Amino acid sequence: MAGNSIANETVNQSRNREPFSLRRFLTNKYFLYCVSICLFLSLWDYVAREKIFRDSLARPLEVWDQLVLLTQIKFAGTHLWGHIWASLQRVLIGFVLASIVAIPLGLFMALNRYVNAIVKPLFDLFKPMPPIAWVSIAILWFGIGETSKVFIIIIGTFVPCLLNAYNGVRLVDPDLYDVIRVLGGSRRDEIIHVCFPASFPAIFAGLQISLSSAWTCVLAAELMNSRDGMGFLIKRGMDTHQPTLVLGGMILIAAAAYGTSLIVSLAERRLCPWQRTIDNL
Amino acid sequence: MAYKEVVVKKPLLLIILPYASLILFFGLWQAVVQFGIIPNTLLASPSQVLTTFIDKLTNANPDGATMGAHAWTSIQEAFLGYLLSLVIGIPLGLAMGWFNIAEGLFRPIFELIRPIPPIAWIPLTVFWFGIGLAGKVFIIWIAGIVPCVINSYVGVRMTSPVLIQMARTYGASSWQIFTQLCIPSALPMVFGALQLALAYCWTNLVAAELLAADSGLGFLITMGGRLGRPDIIVLGMICVGISGAIIGFVIDQVEKKLLAGIRR
Repeated sequence: MAGNSIANETVNQSRNREPFSLRRFLTNKYFLYCVSICLFLSLWDYVAREKIFRDSLARPLEVWDQLVLLTQIKFAGTHLWGHIWASLQRVLIGFVLASIVAIPLGLFMALNRYVNAIVKPLFDLFKPMPPIAWVSIAILWFGIGETSKVFIIIIGTFVPCLLNAYNGVRLVDPDLYDVIRVLGGSRRDEIIHVCFPASFPAIFAGLQISLSSAWTCVLAAELMNSRDGMGFLIKRGMDTHQPTLVLGGMILIAAAAYGTSLIVSLAERRLCPWQRTIDNL
Repeated sequence: MAYKEVVVKKPLLLIILPYASLILFFGLWQAVVQFGIIPNTLLASPSQVLTTFIDKLTNANPDGATMGAHAWTSIQEAFLGYLLSLVIGIPLGLAMGWFNIAEGLFRPIFELIRPIPPIAWIPLTVFWFGIGLAGKVFIIWIAGIVPCVINSYVGVRMTSPVLIQMARTYGASSWQIFTQLCIPSALPMVFGALQLALAYCWTNLVAAELLAADSGLGFLITMGGRLGRPDIIVLGMICVGISGAIIGFVIDQVEKKLLAGIRR
């Protein structure tokens, strides 16, 4: 009988919850997600079946069959996993090498104005050049082997890594410096306890950007010429006009890019839990 | 004057160093090629690149078009793709930020397409549209639309909830809140997208032209590679870099004009 007292507010509210209705069900987020995916796939299937792009678009199921087939037979010398590993290896080598050099350099530039004065103009010179523009000259210098592909990836990942490490330190909230100065910290304390932790989120954002840039670069390099890798699958599909192979390669590379970026964001959550992000993004 | 002006003097070394580093870089580059440490078949010296540039302004050989024609093709493609991605991407992102139905319907598709590098679309676009203008505009559109949608979406989502609640209290309709509150507060983010999208478009333009084209700055680079002419490759790279930087600068200025008075 005490249903109307303030103490029972929660109980009342839960009782007042709106009843199930068709309108609410139709505008539910997850229902719409399902509708959207289904619509997308059926539209894709319809366009492919009606041959609107003639025979240049494969149906989703055909693409799936092609991928399953690739795991069973050897294509150009290796299974599907071999191709995935070939691309992944290139991305990892280039990514790790570039970030090992670029992040400390970026931090140095932000902390020391003399280093900044020397490196910044050179960096500004190379910054606007798209990494893919290096493909031709990389082939000229290093041939068509692994080195040229890793070189392009390094070029592509270097810029965002360095830029974000640099800006991460420069855009640290000045209040934090004031706090540590008031507490009597030395320059070294400032760097270790303020600069590094505060620039971590920015550095990780840079890593994410450079990772996606690395995938773009490895793809470009493999499309130009290669004998294995996911870009090779796409290229072979293009040359022999097999849309299933092209689409299969696209799906694979999207999945790989998504997987690696997921790993980086998990690492970020472990390594810098103080970062605040916008939810639902 | 009550206060003494504080004059911070920049050390002379700091003023000189940037120029010194640039001069040293170009000098080293010239010297390395001049004295044959790196053979001329692998790298062209800055002076050679400059000569080639002046020559290419009027001479269509050896790749079939003059510098101006290549640049014009590239700029045309980039701008068409860029404008299309703005026109479609920004309204889509804004709507996705505010309307549940728009978010529910478009977000999954967008998330599916987003991780695919735009370059991966090149083979399909060649199948579908050939190697002409349409194909390249399509690739550039795909490249540019991603940052547009993300930034406008986040911009709307970051609208201060207090403002929205206040508008609701005063009886504003959902549409009024969207047009008069969310969109203006998302504007700085949207302008951030303009720069980002441009950088993406420009990168992918070069990629598209490297793989499938018959003119344009990226094509110039490919031809240089095929002909074994490092001076043409370097020239192409520098032109792509400089034009990208110029366009970025122009957009930056426009942004400053339009956003004057909005605190960022």
